[in-house]
Parts: sequence; structure tokens; C-alpha cells
Amino acid sequence: MNTTKYRDVILHRTLIATTVASILLTAACTTAPVKPDGAAEARVKLTQLQSDPNLASRAAVAIQDAEAAVRAAEQPEVNKELAAHRVYLADRKVDTAKALAETRFAEDQRPELTAQRDRARLNARTDEADAAKGQAAAARAEGAEQKAAADRARLDATTAQLAAASSDQQAAELQRQIDVLQAKPTDRGLVLTLGDVLFTTGRADLKPGATGNLSKLVAFLDKYPDRTVAIQGYTDSVGSEDYNQWLSERRADSVKSYLIEQGISSIRLAASGKGRSDPVADNDSAAGRQQNRRVEVIISNPPTALR
Amino acid sequence: MNGTSQADRGSRLRLTLGFTGVLLLAACASTPPAPLSNLQAAQQAIAVAERGEAARYAPGELSESHTKLALADTAIAERKMVVAEHLADESRAEAELASAKTSAAKANAVNDEMKRSNSTLVDEMKRSSGDKP
Repeated sequence: MNTTKYRDVILHRTLIATTVASILLTAACTTAPVKPDGAAEARVKLTQLQSDPNLASRAAVAIQDAEAAVRAAEQPEVNKELAAHRVYLADRKVDTAKALAETRFAEDQRPELTAQRDRARLNARTDEADAAKGQAAAARAEGAEQKAAADRARLDATTAQLAAASSDQQAAELQRQIDVLQAKPTDRGLVLTLGDVLFTTGRADLKPGATGNLSKLVAFLDKYPDRTVAIQGYTDSVGSEDYNQWLSERRADSVKSYLIEQGISSIRLAASGKGRSDPVADNDSAAGRQQNRRVEVIISNPPTALR
Repeated sequence: MNGTSQADRGSRLRLTLGFTGVLLLAACASTPPAPLSNLQAAQQAIAVAERGEAARYAPGELSESHTKLALADTAIAERKMVVAEHLADESRAEAELASAKTSAAKANAVNDEMKRSNSTLVDEMKRSSGDKP
């Protein structure tokens, strides 16, 4: 009886000792399982990234990677070194995904930035043209030279507008032709203004050697045979109305004859005189009158060639 | 009879304790082979980062990556293979972060330059139109 009782006590002690020893030894390399330090911070960063509308849809693979790493870091882990390692990886992977998404976002913004730049450039050129126009008006006394500069600037602006509006190859080629011609696109068509340098005062015949711009016009008309031309003569207000009407008609006719001589069909050419009407400058100054004495060549816009 | 049986139990207890200890220690201190592929991956990631000019755009991350790789080498020399593997993986993650930060910095630099030149254009336009009558 006594012996049995003693044996029971021994057995009991053995069990307790074994259990305590096991717990102690286990404790040597483990602690109570809790969420590792730093895992929560990584989760917060990842959630921020995932809820950022600019970034969440970009770098999807990297964000998935980061999600997996954060989930691994959140696992309760008794091994502190391993837990810290997982948190480290999660933290870096979230940062990496964020940087990659930012890269994509920046790249995706470029087309809009380019468009902004084009708009700014266009505005700058239009302003430049307007400024040049204003300058030309202010310094009209300096004459036709400045008007030509203003026209060129305005043409540049129109060129930019056309270039921005369409990348169409045909339009580009036409634009190049218009550039060569130094004509001005308007609602009426392309307007090429020939100054009075073409004519001697009071005379209607073209000065020899003053046909440089006209030969460019001929080349243009050869290239675009579907376009017709209206040639309009204008004068200043000096002299009688009848005389001016007659002179403007003769000058328009001279240009028409020249074009016919160069092989352009007369069917495509209409000449008329406008006399002193529609002045483009003030008739009170010599420079203004010089600008009013002109021949305008209006090249029709075919409905399909210019978009 | 009783004395003998007590002594037997005592030695059996010691044996049990010793065995349990060995098993548990073995569970947390195994020695796998050197993590060569992890080291290689880290070295590769560092090379990629350096080719992308990470030294200029993410110098902190790049140097941290180098440090981790050196620590991994030291751990291998000390036969701490698990630690070495972790350090190698951390080195690689750090190098990949350096690369990502570098591309983000470059992309943002390009955009900033575009924005800067756009606003310069707008400013110039305002100034020149202000000067004219």
C-alpha cells in the first residue's frame, strides 16, 4: 500500500519535471506568438498605396508582391530574427511598389504635359504675331518691310495652328507649299498680297524682275490644279475714283496675263479692280498709301484639301 | 527492490530530459548549405541598380544593400546560414528599392523639366505681351 503510494508520487513528480523542462527548453527559442513589430506600419503604408487613385492601378504586379510580403510579415512568428526579416522585406517591397507606381504615373502624365507645351507655344506664337501686327501699325511710316514681317509672324502662327490641328501628311505638304508662297490662309482662301513694288507709279505693267513671288505662285498653281484664283487690284485714295478703278483693273489684268503666259489656264483666273475700296492702311500717310496700292491674289480653298 | 526501481526511474528521467532538449535545439538550429543563389540574386540586383545610376538617385538604399550583402558574407563565414540567407534577401530587396526609387526620381525629373519649361513659356508670353502696347 505504502509502496504503491510512493510510486505514484514519484511518477507524478517525473511528469511535472518533464513538463517544466520542456517548457523551459521551448522558451529558450520561442516567445508567446504575437504580431511582429513593424508589420502594422508596413500594412498602413500598403493600404495608403492601394487607396491612392493615382497609384493603385499602376505597378499592379509589384503591389501584389508587396501585399504577399506584408501578409507574411503579419504572421505571428516566435522566431524574432525571422519576424524582423519578414517585416524588413515587407517594408522594402511596399516602398518599391510605390516608387514603381510613381514612375508609371509620371510617364502617363507626359502626353498631357506635351499637349500643354504645344498649347503654350501656339499661344506664344499667336501673341507674337499680334504683337508684330501692333508694331507694324505703330511704325507704319517704316513701310512695307514691317508689314511683311508681321505677315510672316502671323503666317507662323497659322502654321503652328495648322500643324497642331492635324498631323495629316497632305496638310503638312500643303503647309510647306503655303510657306514657300508666303500666303495667308483666310476664310476666303489663301491670300497672297503683292505690294506696289511690282508696278511703276501710274503704270499697270509689271516691272521686269519683280516677278519672284509670282513664279512661286505659278509653281503652287501647277501643283494644285483644282484651285482657282481671284486677282483683285486695289489703289490708294489719290486721284479720281474712275482713274483708280481703271488702274486697279489694269493691274489685276497684268497679273492675270503674266499667269496665263506662265501656262496657267485662263479658266482658273478671274481678275477684277476694287479701286480705292477696302484700304488696309491709313491713306493719310505715304506709307499707308503704299500699303493700299496692292494686288491681292486669292487662291480658293477646295473643300477637302484644307481640313 | 524499491531502491533499485527508484534509481532506474531517475536515470530514465535524465535520459528523457536530455533527448527532449536535443530534439528541441535541433529544431531551431539546423545548418543548411550556404545560400549561394540568394547571394547571386542580391549581387545581380545591385548591378542593375548601379547601371541605372542608383548611386546618384538612391545612394542611401544602394549603400544599405551593399552593407547587407557584406554582412551576409560574414554570416556565411561564421556558418550562420539562415542569417546569411535573410541578409542576402534583404540586400536584394534593398537594391530593388534603389532601382525603383531611381526610376521614379528620373521620371519625375523629366516631368518637372517639362512643367518648368511650360511655365517659362507662359511667363515669357505674359511678359512680352505686357511690354507691347
